[in-house]
Amino acid sequence: MSSIDNSDERKIVTFSLGQQIFGIDMSALIEIREWDEPTPLPGVPSYIKGVTNLRGTVVPVVGLAERLGWAPSVVHARSCILVVNVDGKQAGFLVDEVADIVLIKDSDIRPAPDVEIGEASVIAGLVKTTSRTIEAAHGSTDGIMVLLLDLDALGLTRQLDMAA
Amino acid sequence: MSDDLDDIQAIFFEECAEGLATAESGLSAMAAGDVSAKVIAGVFRAVHSIKGGAGAFGHVALTAFSHRFENVLDEVRAGRIAPTPGVTRVMLTAFDILSDHVAASQGTKPVPADDAVLAALDQILVDGGAPDIVAEPMAVAVVAPMDDDPFGFEPVVAEVESFDPFGFEPVTVALDLLDDSVAEPVPWTVTFVPSNAALANGGEPMLIVRELEMLGGTVVAADLSRLPPLRDLEPEHAYIGWTLSLPGDVEEQAIADCFDFVAPNSIVEYARGVVVPEDAPVAAPVVEMLVATPIAPPAPLAVARPTAPPPASSPAARAEEHPEPVRAGEPVAQTIRVDLTKLDMLLNLVGELVIRGSILADRLSPKDQERVELPQLSRLTREIQDTVMSLRAQPIRQAFSRVPRMLRDLSVETGKQVILETIGETTEVDKGVIEKIGDPLTHMIRNAVDHGIESPERRLAAGKPVQGTIRLSAEQKGARIFVRVADDGAGIDRARVRAKAIEKGIVAADAVLTDEEIDQLICAPGFSTAETISNISGRGVGMDVVRSNVEALGGRVEISSVPGKGTTFTMVLPLTLAILEGMIVRLAGQRFVLPLANVIETVQPEPGQVRPTTTTGEVIELRGDYLPVRRLTRTFGLADNDALTPEESLVIIVESETAGHVGLMVDTIDDRREVVIKSLDQNLHPIRGLGGATILGDGSIALILDIEALVGPSAPLTRYTPKGLAA
Repeated sequence: MSSIDNSDERKIVTFSLGQQIFGIDMSALIEIREWDEPTPLPGVPSYIKGVTNLRGTVVPVVGLAERLGWAPSVVHARSCILVVNVDGKQAGFLVDEVADIVLIKDSDIRPAPDVEIGEASVIAGLVKTTSRTIEAAHGSTDGIMVLLLDLDALGLTRQLDMAA
Repeated sequence: MSDDLDDIQAIFFEECAEGLATAESGLSAMAAGDVSAKVIAGVFRAVHSIKGGAGAFGHVALTAFSHRFENVLDEVRAGRIAPTPGVTRVMLTAFDILSDHVAASQGTKPVPADDAVLAALDQILVDGGAPDIVAEPMAVAVVAPMDDDPFGFEPVVAEVESFDPFGFEPVTVALDLLDDSVAEPVPWTVTFVPSNAALANGGEPMLIVRELEMLGGTVVAADLSRLPPLRDLEPEHAYIGWTLSLPGDVEEQAIADCFDFVAPNSIVEYARGVVVPEDAPVAAPVVEMLVATPIAPPAPLAVARPTAPPPASSPAARAEEHPEPVRAGEPVAQTIRVDLTKLDMLLNLVGELVIRGSILADRLSPKDQERVELPQLSRLTREIQDTVMSLRAQPIRQAFSRVPRMLRDLSVETGKQVILETIGETTEVDKGVIEKIGDPLTHMIRNAVDHGIESPERRLAAGKPVQGTIRLSAEQKGARIFVRVADDGAGIDRARVRAKAIEKGIVAADAVLTDEEIDQLICAPGFSTAETISNISGRGVGMDVVRSNVEALGGRVEISSVPGKGTTFTMVLPLTLAILEGMIVRLAGQRFVLPLANVIETVQPEPGQVRPTTTTGEVIELRGDYLPVRRLTRTFGLADNDALTPEESLVIIVESETAGHVGLMVDTIDDRREVVIKSLDQNLHPIRGLGGATILGDGSIALILDIEALVGPSAPLTRYTPKGLAA
């Protein structure tokens, strides 16, 4: 999955949804965009906010909080869209705030316990980071737990094919 | 590394596809009676290169099969086996198996059973395609057509041998002629002057010279006259020409083979006997050499080539003399392979350019907009767009190419004999369209053979030729392509179609239907009149699939049928899938694109003109007719539906294949323009009711409406109810 030379280390992008910190593998990230109201689509699940124009390509925008079964994010000034590549398809995820890019060790990743967030399988694992940016934002000094998202499990097409 | 190999392998398979297409058209031409050397050589070359590539990539089965196929082709090309209809038919069957082998190497099909065909090919090699025996191997591979042999011919090879009163051995006879020349072989003189650009084209001349040496050739002279002074020398140019002498017992074909892959514009000449080039520097050594070699008198002129013309003679004349190996004089179409994704990217970028152009125009003051630069810029952009579109255009031949094979298989399965006529196969269509009409075309052809063309007995009884004809044609009219499949069969049995439709509950028993409406029932889902479900069609999905596929492309299917004369299915398709003429409408403030092709008229409703019929249904009265009306805001759940009254809205009357004329209520119409279609399923999945999306001048996205999906009632039973019996 990671293309970093040192196979034990990888970069992740961390971001917040509500009080929770999540991370996705850096290699899947295409770009981070400001929130821009997407064009709504008819007949799709409510977590698909619509489609937006990413340099000439029509890309769906997903409310990640709703996708995970939580209350919809309230869009504010720091809301961002993380444009990622999932299985060859592009998708934008609406997140509350992008926190930091941190280097983690694969050996530090702990398997996800059966947490009740819609589908446990979308969490690839847990990792503790000591990023100061994140710690400062959350008023903590001994590391913050980051939930690593499994993008393939979040894959839109599979979900949407079922919905369609 | 393995990626590289995969890439090269992918190119090989592309070349295979091209080679197969060449071979098939050549074989079809041979079957139609054109057995000229050029056609045969074309087929040989195609199979030869497939073999070469297959060997390089280690496709053992493909290599083995193409090798044995090539052996027969080689004999035919050399004139030792006559390309009789029987031989051609075996080769067509072999071609089919070859296609299967290619598919097997690609992993898309199982490895075909080729024993019967190989036996048939070998049989041709053994008996030299003697006229009496020719038909025999065909029977091994293709059984059914033989059943119709009016003479009740029993093709058994062993008997033929014993019947032959003369013990005639055609191969031996043919060889006798050659033996005469072999007895006193006149040495070959070969002149080879590679074109300047040979190295750049990958045609390393030394490889060819070495190949000739392998045949026993000796370089007798090198022509250095073109060699420039050292400071003008381009290291990557080929300057030197060679004259070689080859033993007389080398077959002409073997020499020709060496020049199979020679760079364009090279000079290749070979002849038996002495060549005395007029260029002095070369002449002297040749003479010396010839003195040293015992020269037979130039007697066997029947075999000997005329002495090679001096190098100055026109290339065209040479090309006629040696049509196969010498590609020099032929006009060479310069082509390059381009990855399709690059073309798509280019198309996207041009689309962006168009959009940016309109954004720019929007922002300029009216006075600036009229300045000459802006219209010029739009014209240039438009030209670039057209050019890029034409890059994606391909002759529709690609879609037609699989039809002959299919017909051969079908006639074996059904025992019906079918002649294929193809018209307009050079019509150019967007590649996306070509890729998507394959399946509908397959269904239409199968339908025509299975349901259209009658059995030979019934055709004879009806006073028709035993062989049915299917005419496959393509023509362009405006921005549409018409692809027709016409058979000369029995036509649609309307009474039976009607009875079946009533039985299946597709229409009411007392429905009054016009002939056209009955014909359209063929396309209803679950409809099939075949008494027994055959292997070919009759599962009741065929024409339904055709229709939905064609509609998904923004096209429609037309059916016309004359009882006793035949049926014609016409696919009317858009020329391109990338650009659409559309009307920009607003629904609750959001912009949508309505394809203009569907729009009949726009109505501003008077009070009372739109009336409710049921709790959700409405109709509009239009010149005495009542048409159903749909509020698109409601369909899409966009607003508290009735924000606008009908009088404040516009009703656009659209025409659909499935539901006839329907009114669509929209808030306003913004504009009319060409839009670049972006698919939704590239990053998402298709959404019912939407044909895609486009990017408007301000960079925002507008969704494109799919009229058929929007107005067709969702229940399948009513969806295909022809208009007029909706009640």
